[in-house]
Amino acid sequence: MLFLSACASIPADVADLQGLNRSVELGDTPFFPQRQFQCGPAALATALSSSGATVDLQELVDRVYLPGKRGSLQVEMLAATRTAGRLPYVIDGTLQVLWDELTAGRPVIVLQNLGIAAIPRWHFAVVIGIDAERDRVILRSGVDHRRLTSLTTFLRTWRRSNFWGFVVLRPTELPTRVDRLRYLKSIAALEKAGRSDAAVTAWRTALKTWTNDPVALFGLGNTSLAAGDNISAETYFRTMLESNPGAVAARNNLAMALARQHRFEEARHEITTALNEAADPQLERELRDTEALIAKMSQEHAGQENAAHQDEL
Amino acid sequence: MKLNRLRTGILHLISIAIVCAGFTQVSYAGVIETGYLVDQESRAASLARLDVMLASDNVARQLEALGVDKAMGAERIQSLSHLELLMLEAEMDRQIAGGDALALIGAVFLVLLILELVGVTDVFKSI
Repeated sequence: MLFLSACASIPADVADLQGLNRSVELGDTPFFPQRQFQCGPAALATALSSSGATVDLQELVDRVYLPGKRGSLQVEMLAATRTAGRLPYVIDGTLQVLWDELTAGRPVIVLQNLGIAAIPRWHFAVVIGIDAERDRVILRSGVDHRRLTSLTTFLRTWRRSNFWGFVVLRPTELPTRVDRLRYLKSIAALEKAGRSDAAVTAWRTALKTWTNDPVALFGLGNTSLAAGDNISAETYFRTMLESNPGAVAARNNLAMALARQHRFEEARHEITTALNEAADPQLERELRDTEALIAKMSQEHAGQENAAHQDEL
Repeated sequence: MKLNRLRTGILHLISIAIVCAGFTQVSYAGVIETGYLVDQESRAASLARLDVMLASDNVARQLEALGVDKAMGAERIQSLSHLELLMLEAEMDRQIAGGDALALIGAVFLVLLILELVGVTDVFKSI
């Protein structure tokens, strides 16, 4: 009951818009009118192409549209953004953040509920502007190229998704109000989605803001490893360990970077150091596995050297 | 003779390909993913956030009124797995977002949560 009553009005921090004296509208934002219930792919296409990504609407439909549900899931919208090599960043849903992002030139995908609580009608739309004089939000929505909704109505429909929304960032961009961990998480997910190229750029963007950030250095080390650049990987892990000597995961990966350069003695040394520092049993198992793997690589390498030697003889 | 040489060449090519395939497989083994580090840090942040809430007078009073030992609650939260902690936080964010009386809702929610953890209630099975 308490929860319900608290949700019945728009929180002041969401509706508050300091200095809302200037209108903003991204009139150049492309428009992809939705077909049937496909507001998700349409909204995504709009935001992606606005960020300079090449967009294939049909491919987006295949990726995020669930015919059985006649809709799209939030997580799939984020995942499809990553597949396109862009960074989805879930915003703190307030008018002020909308305004900030729009002013920075980025439209914002929002999740609205256009129905009532009993008959929900979820809808993805793209906020492209705020008309300060007339208290209107300007949207690319459904089949409407320029839909005007009163601020109050907009906030009411947005509230039902707990003010959920996200921006599509180029890997060189930071959101206007950045939460470090949320941003880094998004890059890690991009890396895991196989977009190493974009992830490398994004990690570098993060390093510009947070000098020597351990997570960004670790991420660059890992993307270097994945690209087979073991020497760069070694440098990144070492830089990270300089200021975080207890970072066991980095030491483990440093050991791998060394082993792949056939520097097995140094690799073993790093693993031993890491094992002395690992407090978490799961991590300790990982380290033991790496230790075994390095031993195996070392043996195989010795075998190959021998074979090569035999050939020479 | 020529044919023989060609065969040897092809065999060499195949063996190189197999070696390369072997290495590609090896290359991902033994490497700890970037996500691990992010999760570690976000776990630490979650725990710190819960600790702050647990330490607030508001929560302490509610707990005391309900006869729950605060230290025990803190201990249980520490022992939650990463996934449980994430679900918990997501639920917490969901409850708190859009709430005017943030501090109050936070306190009530946390108390309910602790009651759940120590096995007094069964409210959060759905999360």
